Amino acid sequence: MVVICVLMLIPFYWVLKTSLTGENIYAYPPAIIPVDPHLFNYVDVWYMIPFPRYLLNSVIVTLMAVCGNLLFNTAAGYALTRDFPAKRWVVLLLLSCMLIPFQATIIPAYLITSWLGVLNTHLGIALPMLSTIICIFIFKASFEAVPRSLIDAARIDGLSEWRVMVRIMLPLSKPAIATNVILNSIWSWNAFMWPLIITRSPEMQTLPLGLARFLSVMENTTGALYAFVVLVLVPGLAIFLMAQKEFIQGLTSGATKG
Amino acid sequence: MTDTRPDWYRRKRTREIATVVCFLLPALVLFFLYRILPLGWNLWLSFQAWSPLKPAQFIGLENYQEMLLDDDVFWQALGNTLIFIGCSPLAIAAALGIALLVNSDLKGAAIYRTIVFLSYPLMTVAVGIIWRWLYDERGGFINYVLRQAGFITEPLKFLQSFDMALPSVIVADFWQVLGFYMIILLTGLQSIPQHLYEAARVDGVPARARFLWITLPLLRPSIFLCLVVGILNSFTAFDLVYVMTNGGPGHATELLITLIYKAGFGQTRFDYAAALTVVQFLLLVVLTWVANRAAGGNAGSREG
Repeated sequence: MVVICVLMLIPFYWVLKTSLTGENIYAYPPAIIPVDPHLFNYVDVWYMIPFPRYLLNSVIVTLMAVCGNLLFNTAAGYALTRDFPAKRWVVLLLLSCMLIPFQATIIPAYLITSWLGVLNTHLGIALPMLSTIICIFIFKASFEAVPRSLIDAARIDGLSEWRVMVRIMLPLSKPAIATNVILNSIWSWNAFMWPLIITRSPEMQTLPLGLARFLSVMENTTGALYAFVVLVLVPGLAIFLMAQKEFIQGLTSGATKG
Repeated sequence: MTDTRPDWYRRKRTREIATVVCFLLPALVLFFLYRILPLGWNLWLSFQAWSPLKPAQFIGLENYQEMLLDDDVFWQALGNTLIFIGCSPLAIAAALGIALLVNSDLKGAAIYRTIVFLSYPLMTVAVGIIWRWLYDERGGFINYVLRQAGFITEPLKFLQSFDMALPSVIVADFWQVLGFYMIILLTGLQSIPQHLYEAARVDGVPARARFLWITLPLLRPSIFLCLVVGILNSFTAFDLVYVMTNGGPGHATELLITLIYKAGFGQTRFDYAAALTVVQFLLLVVLTWVANRAAGGNAGSREG
């Protein structure tokens, strides 16, 4: 087990080491412990490429995706706990949509996005990520767990539909909200293919695109590339380590229900 | 038949349904726009000759004809995709081993679990760069270790070699998804009732038989799930291949998804890319069905 863990961790270590190493990262044999570690590479990344710009784009897109998901998924999840005609069909539709990988629809999705006129905008990047079916079902399950008597009591007290949702359902569904925020921020943070297709100008590129571009421009001749990698990975890893439980629960509950 | 329910009830009911519709609509519109409509459009597009600024023309199966008969790259990409998917049981088996270890009374199991899972939430582009660097012929860790251990004298060019590029990419992919497989299997293991094992132990069933006759059959849904993830992975591996090799050398690591991207957005041949997408989607459906059969019937519907 220890051996497996070491094997799993080596890539992390190697990149961290390289990002801290000075001029010649190609020296042979490569040093195991960085000689004369310094942070020049990180400073380089910040000033040499439009890193702040990429960061801003990524943050904007991620925020849009998370907000959209919270709004649409809570609404849809709540609607699914209610009784209405054709409910079975809606659920079936959603379940079958879940089996369609987004990558299988990119060509028409691109055409639709261009028809909507949001190519090369933040909205265009975030649009397909604004709602996630797995998360709708997570909310549905969480809302269904709210005791019926509580809702009825609130109704009798004269609370409107809207107030029931905001005052009772949402406060009782904090774990579902957390799962939603975490999953969606990580997914949209890491998204690569869709932004690659949708963006035209460098000003709109998100971090993964910037990373790929940096790689193609510089090849891998500088330690700055690896400093870039580390900088990009840190937020995702931080979110994951802080909220590991919700993340794993969300993934497994979503996965087993599929 | 007339509705005999009182008027106020019907009004209330209408209002309720209106609320439901309002709540559901945004999400449904989104899925219609980005899942259902594209799927249909994609199929339609694959029967057409399409190019920007010109009206589309119906040409029937010509795109498919070109793909199946004249396009060697397509066959290579299909083969690579199948190899890519075909290797996933290896990763699943490894993940099962790790899951069993983590699930046993091991000290610090939670820490091991975290470490193994750590690579899954990473940005795939970054994973690609990390592994490119590990495979690097001068500064790469793998060549360094192999040379130090005396297995090789000259550094190997993993990603530039026709034979080694695809396995190299697959290994990098394993590293990333291993944790996810493990988590799925671990959840499955933990849902197996303990008393089954106790009963078996009392009856004197040896450990290997317990694994074969209790653990494996009850893990089927989880294994099926892992297989589906492995199949879907051939779609999402785009990021990894794009960064690590971009399909090269030659087309040695070309997957269907990278070919779709190149045809669609490199050569602006949306029609041909659409036809390729149809093939990949069919592949996905067929393989999922096969995996379902292999895992024993309706394994996916564990929780409904």
